[in-house]
Amino acid sequence: MRILILLFLILSPVSGHAADAIALDSSVFVEREVPAAGGKTKTVLEDPKVVIPGDRLVFILQYRNTGTQSAKDFVVTNPMPAPVAYQGTSDTVAQVSVDGGKTFAPLSSLKVRETDGAERAARAEDVTHVRWILSEPIAAGAQGKLSFRGVVR
Amino acid sequence: MLEGNFWAIKNVRLTLIAPLIVATASVSFTPRAEAAGTVAGSTIANTATASFTDSGGNAQTATSNTANLRVDELLDVAVTSADPGDIPTLPSGVNQVASFTVTNTGNGSEAYGLAVTTALGGDQFDPTATSIALDTNGNGAYDAGVDTVYVSGTNDPVLAPDASIRVFVLSTIPGTAVNGDRGQLSLALASKTLTGAPGASSNGQGQGGGDAVVGTSGGDGSANGAYVVQAASISFTKTSNVVDPFSGSKIVPGSIVTYTLTATVSGTGSLTNVAIADNIPVNTTYVAGTLTLQGAPVTDAADADAGVFVPPAGAAPGRIQVALGNVAASQTRTVTFNVRIN
Repeated sequence: MRILILLFLILSPVSGHAADAIALDSSVFVEREVPAAGGKTKTVLEDPKVVIPGDRLVFILQYRNTGTQSAKDFVVTNPMPAPVAYQGTSDTVAQVSVDGGKTFAPLSSLKVRETDGAERAARAEDVTHVRWILSEPIAAGAQGKLSFRGVVR
Repeated sequence: MLEGNFWAIKNVRLTLIAPLIVATASVSFTPRAEAAGTVAGSTIANTATASFTDSGGNAQTATSNTANLRVDELLDVAVTSADPGDIPTLPSGVNQVASFTVTNTGNGSEAYGLAVTTALGGDQFDPTATSIALDTNGNGAYDAGVDTVYVSGTNDPVLAPDASIRVFVLSTIPGTAVNGDRGQLSLALASKTLTGAPGASSNGQGQGGGDAVVGTSGGDGSANGAYVVQAASISFTKTSNVVDPFSGSKIVPGSIVTYTLTATVSGTGSLTNVAIADNIPVNTTYVAGTLTLQGAPVTDAADADAGVFVPPAGAAPGRIQVALGNVAASQTRTVTFNVRIN
C-alpha cells in the first residue's frame, strides 16, 4: 500500500502537466422558420437576440484536444438548464438521465415515478442531464461537435 | 470496449480508481412553474463538463464556458365574457352589469388599457356604457361603491403572469328598446408596453431588462357581451258560472256563482310577486272554503298558503287575495271562488 501511495505522489505532477488539454465550448442558438424562395420555409439557426417561452433552442458543445497527446474515455455531461425542456438529439451516442444525473440510458427505457407513486414512461421534458460517451480517443488537435435541442418552458 | 479499457487501466494505476463519469456542473436558475412559461427576465445558463483520461493515465476534467440567455417578455392576453349568456335587462335600465375576465397569458407583469365599444352591428340597440369597474374585492360580482371605477391611464390593471381580473361594464339601456331586442358591447384591452403583429418587439422594454415581444394574441384582445330586453306583461280574465237551487242557471236568491280568474304572463322573462285580489260583489256572500289555486283548495285563513279571504269590514266589501309569487312568461295561474246570491 505504501508503495502505491508513493507512486501516486510521484505521478501527480505528471497529471498536472497535462491538465486542460481539452477545450470545451458551450453555445446556444435559436431555431426559427423563415420564408424561403417558392413560398417555402427554411429552418435557420440564429443568435438568440430575442427569446420567449416556446422558442426552440439548439445547444452546441464543441470540444478540441488542445494538448499534444490523445485523450481517451471522453465523456461530456450537460445538465439541462431548468427553464429548458429537452427536445432530443441526433447524436446516437447520447444518453439521458431523468433522476438528476444518477443513472443514464436511452430515454425510451427510462421511467419516472409520479408524486402519487405511479410509474410512467419518461418524457423528453423529464430529462435532467444529457451525456455523451465517446468510445474513440480524441487525438491531439482533433475536434468535434455535440448538440441537443430544447424548448424554452 | 470502454468498460474493458477502464478496468485494464485501473489495475495498473491507483489514481484511476476515480469514477469514470464526472457529472458535475452548476445551473443557477430555478424556474417558477407558470402556465405562461418561464418568467420574463430569467436567465438560461448552460454549462457542460467533460471528463477524460490523459496520456499519462490520469483522470482529467474540463468545464465549458457558460452560455447565458435572458428570457424576454412575451406580451399575450386573453379576455372572455364572464356572463353565462345574454344579460336580461329592461328598457331604461341603469347600471346594467356586463362581466368580463381578463387573463395575462404572457410571462411578465403587464399593465392593460381598457376600452368599451357599443356601436356594433347585428343587434337592435346600442347600450350606453357609463363606466368600467375593476373587481377590487375579487369576489367576481359587481359591488357598487366597493369595486373601483376604472380611469384610463390612472389605474390600468397590472396583472402578474397567469393572473386574472374580473372587469365590469355598467350600461344604460335605451328606453326605446322593446321586448326581445339585443344590444351588444365589446370590451377591448391592450398591453401598455406594446401591441402589434405577433413577433414585433421592443428593445429593452420587457420585464427584467429584456425585450418585449408581441405574442400570438397581438398583445391585445376583445370580447363581446350582450344585453337582451326581457319585458313580460300580464293579463287577467274573469268568467262566471251560475247554478241555481234547482240545478238550472237562473240568477235567483240562493244561486251559487263560481268566478274563475285567470292571469296570463306573456313576453319574455318573468314577473315577480304577482298577486290577485277580487272584491266580493254586492248582494252576494262568499261561500266559505271555496277558494282554489290551480284547482287545489287553499284555506280562507291568513296562513302559509297563498290564499286568504278578507271578510267585509264596515263599508269595505269582503275580498279574496291570492299571492302568485314569480310567474315566468307564457305561464298562467287560475283562481276560483264561489259566492251565493242573497
